[in-house]
Parts: sequence; C-alpha cells; structure tokens
Amino acid sequence: MTPILRARLQSSLLSAAVLVLLLVIWHVATLPTAAARVATSLTPEQVEYQKLLGKDPAAATAKAAGFPTLALMGETVVRNLAHPFYDNGPNDKGIGIQLGWSLLRVGLGFGLAAIVAIPFGFLIGMSPLIYRALDPFIQLLKPISPLAWMPIALYTIKDSSISGIFVIFICSVWPMLINTAFGVSNVRREWLNVARTLEVTPLRKAFQVILPAAAPTILTGMRISMGIAWLVIVAAEMLVGGTGIGYFVWNEWNNLALSSVIFAILVIGVVGMALDLLFAWAQRAVSYVD
Amino acid sequence: MSTHDPYDADRPLRLSCACGGAHDAADHGREPAAGATGGASGASAMAERVEATLVRALLPNERLRRRFLQAVGAQTARAAIASLLPIGALEAMAQEKGPLEKKELKVGFIAITCATPLIMAGPLGFYRQQGLDVALIKTAGWALIRDKMLNKEYDATHFLSPMPLAISMGLGSVAQPMRVATIQNINGQAITLANKHKENRDPRNWKGFKFAIPFEYSMHNFLLRYYLAEAGINPDTDVQLRVVPPPEMVANLRAGNIDGFLGPDPFNQRAVYDEVGFIHLLSKDIWDGHPCCAFGTSEAFIQQNPNTFAALYRAVLTASDMARDPKNRELIAKVIAPAAYLNQPETVLTQVLTGKYADGLGNIKNVPDRAGFDPVPWQSMAVWMLTQMKRWGYIKGDVDYKGIAEQVFLLTDAKKQMKALGGKTPDGAYRNYTVLGKTFDPTKAAEYAASFAIRKA
Amino acid sequence: MSIDTGLPDGAAKADFLRVEGLGKSYALGAEPVFENVNFTIARGEFVCIVGHSGCGKTTILNVLAGLEQANAGNVFMGGREVAGPSLERGVVFQGHALMPWLTVRGNIAFAVRSKWPDATEAEIDTQVEKYVALVGLGAAIDKKPSALSGGMKQRVGIARAFAIEPKMLLLDEPFGALDALTRGTIQDELLRICAETRQTVFMITHDVDEAILLADKVLLMSNGPRAGVAEIVANTMSRERQRATLHHDPQYYRIRNHMVDFLVARSKDYSHGRSPAHAPVVSPGLDADVAADVAAAEPAPNVVRIKVRT
Repeated sequence: MTPILRARLQSSLLSAAVLVLLLVIWHVATLPTAAARVATSLTPEQVEYQKLLGKDPAAATAKAAGFPTLALMGETVVRNLAHPFYDNGPNDKGIGIQLGWSLLRVGLGFGLAAIVAIPFGFLIGMSPLIYRALDPFIQLLKPISPLAWMPIALYTIKDSSISGIFVIFICSVWPMLINTAFGVSNVRREWLNVARTLEVTPLRKAFQVILPAAAPTILTGMRISMGIAWLVIVAAEMLVGGTGIGYFVWNEWNNLALSSVIFAILVIGVVGMALDLLFAWAQRAVSYVD
Repeated sequence: MSTHDPYDADRPLRLSCACGGAHDAADHGREPAAGATGGASGASAMAERVEATLVRALLPNERLRRRFLQAVGAQTARAAIASLLPIGALEAMAQEKGPLEKKELKVGFIAITCATPLIMAGPLGFYRQQGLDVALIKTAGWALIRDKMLNKEYDATHFLSPMPLAISMGLGSVAQPMRVATIQNINGQAITLANKHKENRDPRNWKGFKFAIPFEYSMHNFLLRYYLAEAGINPDTDVQLRVVPPPEMVANLRAGNIDGFLGPDPFNQRAVYDEVGFIHLLSKDIWDGHPCCAFGTSEAFIQQNPNTFAALYRAVLTASDMARDPKNRELIAKVIAPAAYLNQPETVLTQVLTGKYADGLGNIKNVPDRAGFDPVPWQSMAVWMLTQMKRWGYIKGDVDYKGIAEQVFLLTDAKKQMKALGGKTPDGAYRNYTVLGKTFDPTKAAEYAASFAIRKA
Repeated sequence: MSIDTGLPDGAAKADFLRVEGLGKSYALGAEPVFENVNFTIARGEFVCIVGHSGCGKTTILNVLAGLEQANAGNVFMGGREVAGPSLERGVVFQGHALMPWLTVRGNIAFAVRSKWPDATEAEIDTQVEKYVALVGLGAAIDKKPSALSGGMKQRVGIARAFAIEPKMLLLDEPFGALDALTRGTIQDELLRICAETRQTVFMITHDVDEAILLADKVLLMSNGPRAGVAEIVANTMSRERQRATLHHDPQYYRIRNHMVDFLVARSKDYSHGRSPAHAPVVSPGLDADVAADVAAAEPAPNVVRIKVRT
C-alpha cells in the first residue's frame, strides 16, 4: 500500500470511529428511564390520565420525551427520504421539494450577487481612487446581519419570497466583492507589464490576463459567499415561512418534533457541504502554481 | 317592508328595528315574508334598504342629515355617496348569491385551535361547496399575517380579534381599514404555568414573573393584564410580558425563560402533554364567552369582491356551525391534526376540543365548553377591546367606541349571512359582559375604561 | 519602417536607436539616479550594459521599453520618439513573467496573437512552433510553467519575445537566476539565434564574460547617484566567436581586464555627474602590442583609439 493510501485509510478509520462514538453517546443518553416501567399500582383514573399524556403505562418503554432516541431518529430519516417529493398542499411538502425551493432562492440570490460583485470588484481593484471612495460604505454594510435586513426588505419589497432573495443577495455580495477587488489589485505587475509591451487592448487584458490571474482569489470569495448564502436562506425561511428547508425546520419545530428538526439540520449540513465541495472543485480548476 | 327615502330632507329616516333585524320597527316580532314588500319589487326594495342603511351610517344624526340634504340637494347627495361607498357591494351582499369575482383565494392562518372553523372548511369541503378554491397558508407569526394582509398577498385571514381594530386605526402599522367578518372562537385559551409553580398559584404572589403573550393586540394580552390587575399586580411594572410565537411558548417554558403564558391552545395542552407545565386557569373562567380570534379581511377586498366575500362568509359560518356541536369535535380534531394544518398529536387536539383533558396536576377535568365557536361578532366585544386598549395606553385621546366598533365588526352582515344559511340569529348588537365578577356595560365605555385602579399612568 | 530623418544613410543606420540626454529621478527634487545618458544602437547590433546595482540600468531598459517615463531626455527609435510600450520592442523580463495558467504554447500564442490579431489558428500554431523549436523546447510545448525548470522557463520567455519579431529586443538580466551550466547553454543559443535573425538587442548583465561573448559593444555605467555612461567598450573580437574557445583569443583577457578594472576600481569615479556626456569608445582588445592588427581591424565610426602605453 502506498503511503498516501495508508494515510487516507487511517484518517477514514479514525473518522468512522469518532462517528461510532458519537452514536453510542447519543444512544446511551436517550435510553428510556426505568421508572416508567413500574405501572402496576395505578388506579384506572390514573391510567387514563397517563394515556392523556400520551403515555401507555402498560408498555415497557416510556414515551419519547425530550431528545429522540437513535431508533426514532433512524425511523424519521427513512420516512423522510422514502417520499421526498410528496405534496400535501401549501403547508406540507416533502423534503425534496423544500430543498428545491431553498436551492432555487439561493441560486437566484447568489447569482445576482455574483453579477454585481465581480464587475464591481474588478472596477474597485483596478482603481485605487474608487477603492478608497467606496471602502467606507463596504465596511459599514458588510457586518450587518441578514436577520437585520429582513424587516427592511419585507417592509419595502412586501413580497416574502423576493425579500428572501434580496437578503441572500445583500449578505453574499460582500465576500465576492472584496475578494475580487483584492485579487484584481494584486495581479503581478510583471504580467501587466507583459501585457503592456504586447500592446494588449484593455478588454483583452481584463479577460485574458487579469481574470485568470485573479480567478483563484475570486473563487475563494465565491466559496465563502455560497457558505453565507446557504446559512442565510435557512434563517430567512424560518422567519417568513412558506416553502423551503428553513420553513420545514420551523414547521417541525412548531410540532416540537425534535427528530424531524434534527433530520432537517443534518440535511442542511449535507447540502451545505455539497455546495462547498462544488466550489472547491471549481477553485482547483482555476488555480495555478506560481 | 316600506322604507322612507333617505334623501328626503323633510321626513325622518327610520330604518329598521332597534334589534338589528332586517325589518321595520313596525314589523318587529312578525316573521317577514321573503320578498314581501309594500309596493316595490323585492330587488329594488332591497337596494333602497341598503342605500338607506348607508345614509344612516354616514349621517347618524338626523338633524345633520337633514341640514346636509338641505345644503346640497338630494341629487348631489346621492351622487356623492354613491361615488364613495360600495352600494353595489353591499347590495350584492344582501342578495342571495351572485357570480364570484375571484375563485382562487389565499387565506392565512396560524396553527392554533382558534382557527378551527376556517381550517376545517378546507378538508371538509365547505369552501369548495361555495365554488371557492382556497389555499390555506400556514404563517409564521402575527406580524407576518398583518404584513401580508397589508400588502395584499392574502385575500382573507385568521386574525386576533383586536388586530383589525388596531390596523384600521393605524396602531403599530400603516392604517388600512380591516374588517371582522366572524369571530372564530370564544374561550379556548388558558393560563399555563411552569411545573415549578405548582405550589404558587395565587396571582398576588406573582411579582417578578415573566409571562409570554402571542401579540400586543390580542385578547390574551388584555385578559392577562386584566387578571393580573385584579390581583393587584401592575402588568407594566411588576411583571414582564414578552411577545413570543405560540409554539415557542412551550419550549421557553421548558427552558425556564418564562414562568407562564396566557396563550392559545393547543399549546396549553401541549405543555401538559410534554410535562413542562400545568393549566392554572381556563380563560373562560376569566370571561365566559370572550372572543379570541377572528376571520377577517380588508375593506378593499370586500368592496372589490362582494360575492366572493359572501361565499367565504357562508363557508366559514357553516364550519362554525358544525364546530359548535359537541358530537363533531372528535372528528374535527382528527381533520385538523395533520402536518399541513396544526401538525400536533391528535390526542392533544381532542383534549382541547372535547374538554376532557389532563390538567398537569394529576386530575382529569371535564369542561365541555372549554372552547366554543360562536361566530357572532358582537360590537360590544369590540368596545370592550377598545376600552382595554385605552386603559393600557395603546390608544390615546378620545375614542369613538361605538363608531369604530360598528365600522370594523361586521355584525349586521354576519347576521344576514347566518339568516341566509337558515340559522337562528340572536337579537341586538350590544350586550353586557361579566369579566372576573365586574360588569361591563358597552354604553358606558369611557367610564369603564377609566374605572380601573391599575392602568397605564 | 524607414523614416526620413534627414541624416545620411550611414548615420541613419547607426541611429536605429538613439538615446539623448536621458535622466531619471524617482522623487521631485531628489537627486537623479542617472543623468545625461547618451548612446546609440545600430540596426543588428547587440549592445550590453554593465554596471553596479543601483546605477539605473533596469530603469534605462524600462524607459527604452516604454514602461517608464524619463524626466529628462528622449529616446528615438527609427527617428520616432518612444512614448510607450510597443510591439516593436520586445522585452524579456528578469523573472520570466510567464503566465502560469497557460502552457508554453499558450504563453507564446498569446504574444503572437497580440501582434497579429487576425491570424488563423494554423498560422499562430506555426509561428509558435517555429520559435519553440528555435529555443529547443519542442518536447515541453504543452506543459505549464510550473512543470519547467528555471532555464526552460527563461527560454520560453526568450521564445515569446522573439516570436513577435520585434524590431528591437530588450533583455533584463535574463540569465541572472540560472546556474552556470544552464546559462552557458542558453547563451550559446542566444548567440546562434541572434546571428540567424540579425536581431537588434539591448541587454543588461552583471556577467562580464557574457557581455564579451554576446555583445558588439558594452556600455560601462558608473555608480549612482547621478550615474552616466562612462565608457563604451567596442568588442573587437571576431563575430564568429564561440564560448568554448573564447578564452583562447588574446583580446579576450584584455577586454575582460579592462572591464573588471572599471567595475572594481573606476566606476565610482564617474558618479555624481562626472561621466562624460558622450562617452568615448574604447577598444582595449586592440592593445598597443598588436598595433598592426589594429590597422587591419575594421574600425566602427566614431571610434577613438586609445593607445595604452605600457
């Protein structure tokens, strides 16, 4: 076995061990208490009372209270993944449909942000004057939380879906803008000089010298932005509801159905990871060894 | 049925009987024959009646009416009034059934048992029966309900009954005229406390407690404040009242962030079910028959879609009717439990709707009228809410109690629709109520508002 | 292109590149790095400039390339003033300045397309392959710069500069970063290429041997500040010289010693504006001992013979 393969195998085994450990801890922590099993000495009225609380005193195990057990978790996962695209009206749709909506909104918001941020970033990166002029605005707007933008968006835009997309836009535009500006302004002087001595037109220089040179930095910005956008959409959807994975979380939360909430969180994590991997691949595609 | 010409400056305008029924004072007590008139045909008599009602509403003072007509003349008056008010709409309302202007509607709701009639009308087919295709949209909170009504994303919605008053008056939002068509439910709320307060049930000892309420402009807020004030606690200074969305109330109770809440079901029962709290007091024990939530829409919607509005009315009233019968309650619990609606365990809803429930202290209680579904939007209810809003400083200055109440709570229309469905309608427009032993007389609203020891300074 | 400069033919040929009174200072009011620099380059000539660090050699090259502006003086190429960068003046930078995201082919093609934007793919490929072959990198044509050694990268830089067939080539210490063996190989190649193409070249170098191998004349720059061209050394050795046999030629050491003496001892004597406005042309290769050879040697115009009495 080559050293690289051995290293990979070792780290995989370690990951698997950590996962097993976590599952074991989960299982032990959610074991039903023994007290529930002592039920023989209850009066009929007390039995009925227990039943109204959703507990069956005759059963061996107690009702699932608080954190769900591994078994319940597993059942939830299977149930949701078995029928991901069901549609029971506006308030009850499968996880696949909800994810689709969220990804659509993220795609639109992120796409808009890219269309605005990259050209602007170019402009700012190439002109120190514009950079200094716009910098205070960027620094002021950048740290504002998406949840703070939400009420303003709802009030002015009035449509909850478009507000959600706007909030994603306004939060994911900054990393792309700043990284593009940075990448463009840090293009090696040498390459620019080569372009000058070859009398390269400004447009050609922008697309064939500056863009490829700054591409790794720009893609880093896009990757960060995508992470933020995915974060924001969940929060935004929880606030406005309707459709989407954030709404799914909120709806299950309303029912205090923790296992569904946890399932939704795991789905959010998995999708977020997939999106990040996508951008990591794109980043590798444009990177170069200097 | 004869009516006097409302544009006649020389004759007094006596519209109808004081009981609110659709007949002359002279006809009171006699069942009016459908379509029977003193001379004119049924339809135009109806139109005359509607117009007369309008004029009366605009110019309730007889002397003012006559002076106005003498000043501008009957023709001008008629044209002016017709241009401002939806005579056509109101006529349509008064008719049997007209063609629907809009068939696909979006109706918002919050996933609580208060909205039972308007929710159950969906799966039980009452909307479809009226020719409507209604999408029931679960909404994240009351503020969003308000916003989506203001920007017309929803056609009609589940409201907290004080909300249309507040929105029409521009309290806490842009002012836009909203109307209450029916009351969705009466009673059906409770004060729930955390388990640690099992031995501390005297409200006089509750200084420093933190309570959750679903919204500022809600009966929950007003009832809780009333209850605390009666026990000598000033709700603004002695305790903390927080606005919390109902589903989060149970979680907050479990986490110890709040000591209790006055909230809508099913979350009181859910707190018991999850063994984090107990039911201290049902809201019907504060005021038996108090309104809670309402079904309403904007004045603009009513004007533009009078027939659709009438159809919605009929569907929701049919549902209320069915919900009032205790025999149907278990079925209804089953129908509204799925994920698309309330998304709660069925047994929780059954306990709320049938009134046979576990109270969190080890007892099974049997209170069949724990939740009620009487749809009549009494204007006196509106007046009570307004007095409380004045008491706690939400409104400042003089309040035209009767005027606003009659404008926002569409009592006459509700009664008309109930009549059209063949139901019995109660008499009158104003009733007295007893709240925690104290009588409320709607005709003495201003005095009532000022009569409390604890109020906003 | 030929412009009527009003000068006789011979003079026009000599003044293919003319530098007049060039001076540069980097801050207002500060002392100039160099001043009053005058020299000419004839068409087909290979000129090296040698001097200590800080005397402004790179700056002069940048001014010639049009990448920088001088504060004083002018540069004329073919009678026209040099105002900015141009495809007529190809540059080989000190670091190879290859674009790392393009292959060798891509880098050179970029340059070729800049010169001939309307050329077809096939034409560009032909041109690229021709010059890649010229520098001997045919096997690596589709590799990225990160897969090449330092020497190979520099060769690509040279190929790129040649591929646009510029009127003049400017090289900024192109072999400074290379080891001695690679340097030697590439020097031979450069010599061969320039002989083939009759390219006009201006090169900066620290390496005296390199200068003697490659150049037709060497500009000796004094130290800064206010540096200037102190002397112009004519390379009176045969044009058919080879690196392997260079040191056998008796002229070699004379020229070499002269230059090393200058660099070690004399260059600081010409700083602070003490360099002559028009540097004298010297031929240390032609020693007094071989005066006869001097007569047989073909003098370049404006040559001042210095007899060194021993």
